Amino acid sequence: MVGPLEQAILALMIAVIMLGMGASLTPRDFTSALKRPQGLFIGVVSQYGFMPLIAFTLAMVLPVSDPVKIGLLIMGCMPGGTTSNIFTYFSKGNLALSVLMTVTSTLFGVVLIPILLLVYAAGLDIDIPASNIVVTLILLLVPVAIGMAIRRWNANVGALVELGGSALGIFFIVFLLVSWVPRNWAFLLTTPPSVFLGAIALGVMGFACGYGLSILMRQTPRNARTVALETGIQNGPLAVALVVLTFASTQQQEILAVPVLYSLFIVITSSLLTLWFRRIDARSQQTLPNALL
Amino acid sequence: MTSTATARPWAAAYPPGVPAEVTAPLAATLGQLVRDTAAREGNRIAYTVVMPNGMYGDLSFAEVDRLSDAFANYLRDVAMLNPGDRVALQTPNSLTVPVVAFGVFKAGCVLVNINPLYTPAEMAHQLRDASPRLIVITDMFMDKLTEAGKLTPLPQIVVTRVAELMPRAVRGVIGLVQKHWDRSIPAHSLPHIRLPDALAKGAARPARRHDADLPPDAIAALQYTGGTTGVAKGAILTHRNLLMNMAQAMTFIAPHVAPAKEVVLTAIPTYHILAFTLNLLGFFHLGGRNLLIPNPRPLSNLKRAFENYPITWIIGVNTLFNGLMNEFWFRDAPPRTLKASFAGGMALHGAVAQRWRDMTGTDIVEGYGLTETSPVATGNPIGRAREGSIGIPMPSTEVRLIDDSGAEVPPGTPGEFTLRGPQVMAGYWQRPEDTAAAICAEGFLRTGDIATMDPDGYFRIIDRKKDMILVSGFNVYPNEVEDVLAAHPGIAESAVIGVPDGAAGEAVRAYVVRRDPELTEADIRAHCKAKLTAYKVPRQIEFRNELPKSNVGKILRRDLRAEALSSKKGA
Repeated sequence: MVGPLEQAILALMIAVIMLGMGASLTPRDFTSALKRPQGLFIGVVSQYGFMPLIAFTLAMVLPVSDPVKIGLLIMGCMPGGTTSNIFTYFSKGNLALSVLMTVTSTLFGVVLIPILLLVYAAGLDIDIPASNIVVTLILLLVPVAIGMAIRRWNANVGALVELGGSALGIFFIVFLLVSWVPRNWAFLLTTPPSVFLGAIALGVMGFACGYGLSILMRQTPRNARTVALETGIQNGPLAVALVVLTFASTQQQEILAVPVLYSLFIVITSSLLTLWFRRIDARSQQTLPNALL
Repeated sequence: MTSTATARPWAAAYPPGVPAEVTAPLAATLGQLVRDTAAREGNRIAYTVVMPNGMYGDLSFAEVDRLSDAFANYLRDVAMLNPGDRVALQTPNSLTVPVVAFGVFKAGCVLVNINPLYTPAEMAHQLRDASPRLIVITDMFMDKLTEAGKLTPLPQIVVTRVAELMPRAVRGVIGLVQKHWDRSIPAHSLPHIRLPDALAKGAARPARRHDADLPPDAIAALQYTGGTTGVAKGAILTHRNLLMNMAQAMTFIAPHVAPAKEVVLTAIPTYHILAFTLNLLGFFHLGGRNLLIPNPRPLSNLKRAFENYPITWIIGVNTLFNGLMNEFWFRDAPPRTLKASFAGGMALHGAVAQRWRDMTGTDIVEGYGLTETSPVATGNPIGRAREGSIGIPMPSTEVRLIDDSGAEVPPGTPGEFTLRGPQVMAGYWQRPEDTAAAICAEGFLRTGDIATMDPDGYFRIIDRKKDMILVSGFNVYPNEVEDVLAAHPGIAESAVIGVPDGAAGEAVRAYVVRRDPELTEADIRAHCKAKLTAYKVPRQIEFRNELPKSNVGKILRRDLRAEALSSKKGA
């Protein structure tokens, strides 16, 4: 799995990336997103409505063992992850909405995750790792606030921090992929295809449902892209921590299969989706005549 | 009969605080204007270039004065130019523009702005026609200059860059991105000097006032125009032309600008006379801060400028205002500090002005003018704007509407818009026949635009002379039909022309770019019928993805007409 040093490095990288993301934001971006809270509302519905339902359906349909089913359900009930903010930034989505959605779903999660697991897993007794939730929120909010302050103080430094943050963001994505595969090579070879399918489908169907619901609710394409990424991308590390805290080591490995596989494939599917979203965005730009605009 | 020009029915329409006459220029020469302004404003910020990601660079009034002195020295004492020699400038909006333009004025030389989007052939034409002895050009266009050099001999070359004069770290990053990511800086082998080196050499020479003996009627700029009607001609604009037009336009908006308080968005290019006179000169002299946007395309490039600066004025064109209102970030947070805007260059659609008012709570003043008039000829007074009107003449400007024989038309009848005033050019560079055809003996400039005058002196442009459509003996003016089309929420833009039609002589044909993909021909006809007399309603409607446009953004009706005629012949 992931060692403490590696975890610390990842956390530091996320903090620096979020500093850069913050430097692309102004307080107005947040007030605009809050002024029309439908986007936020749709996000929460899609996060805690669709994702657990998708996970439950997959658990019912796929021929997987009970511990894997539990892993799948836990993964589906997680709040949005910080990675979704990075992908939203690169997708030219609504970053302020994405940050707000991550914060909201994380806070709501404290109450909603136990309830959802009660409904879908008939009272699975789990521990919500509070410290992990606090760390997630701090890692997200503190750097964003500092980034915004830097930009306000000096737009040149802000732009440089943003540029650095986004470069590190790309490195981070590549790093996740490159470091994951050798680490889990044996695991990849021994895991049955149905588990792969569950781990991949959870994210992809989450994207589709989030996007579909947003379009149905007449959200702007930009908000729809944001909700799609936010819905599909779950807080993987939180799921891992939750499983480790809750289950004995014999069961642990099997339950962790989905969260671990999910964490790999979500980076791949999100990258592909981001490339597609960027093309949509480029095509939607107004064409203006040359010269005098 | 008293002529309109002497009767001046518009005299009563000037708002309080706006005099009907502007008698004296703001300074003897443009160089003097820069020195006076810098002495007054000192270290306050005059120009800020804003990149799409928010990176910026500032020049203070004092720095602009000092650097343009250095460039004037370079021109006269190092490059050995003489007064009256032409200096070409080909760059997008950047800090280079004020330094070079003011340096040219201070050197007593003549500025020739070249459109950066010109093709090598167009550049060669302009270089041949204006025969500059030196060109300042952005590194991005060196490949085109190399090509142009195969068609015509090249002058001395000074190379600048978009990030010139910005802070070192930012300049480095922008340079790296342009070179290795955008790959927008071509390699070239032309002999040249870099602008910073030229400035250093100029600064090393003893300070000298090169323009001390320059008469006010000395030529300041050759401003090329006429791309839509034929071969580009250089309008000769004198120091006095530009100084007076600045004074006229700034006086006209004086009740709505505060000295040393304004932040003006300069998203339209400064090589165009509108931004040159109003932003670069007018707001500079007022002590305002110019936000120079190197590339406003896509319009999301303006987002950071709106977020980071309290913009109080926008000088723009219909396309800019319309485009901004289609951007989500602009709609979400329209600038709260905005006081008013000025639209020129092309007709401002009534529907656009109304939507703008609803969205921002501020007015767009529609002005009218030509390159030949430095450029502002008329404007709508703020708060007294009249929809569909180009407003009233600038102070000290006389207007006459004339018929084909040159006689003034009776009140209420359409006639060709002609004007006389201190902003009217001295003529076309080395084209006496064109000059004689454009400016009559009494000094009135013929614009080729057909206008009517309301009883109280507001003018309305009905059309360009040659664009008029004749349907069964009735005159249809394309602008009027396009205005109605523009008011339909499902239409992004449109162009209207006349096409030959057996029964009616000509039929009205509309080319429409849809905003709403569901929009049908029937919808458009129903909309037009509600607003227009039957003969003006387009008989033929064709949907297009885009319309042909000139490089200054004017829709090229003649291209559509030529296309329609050739397809008819082919059929």
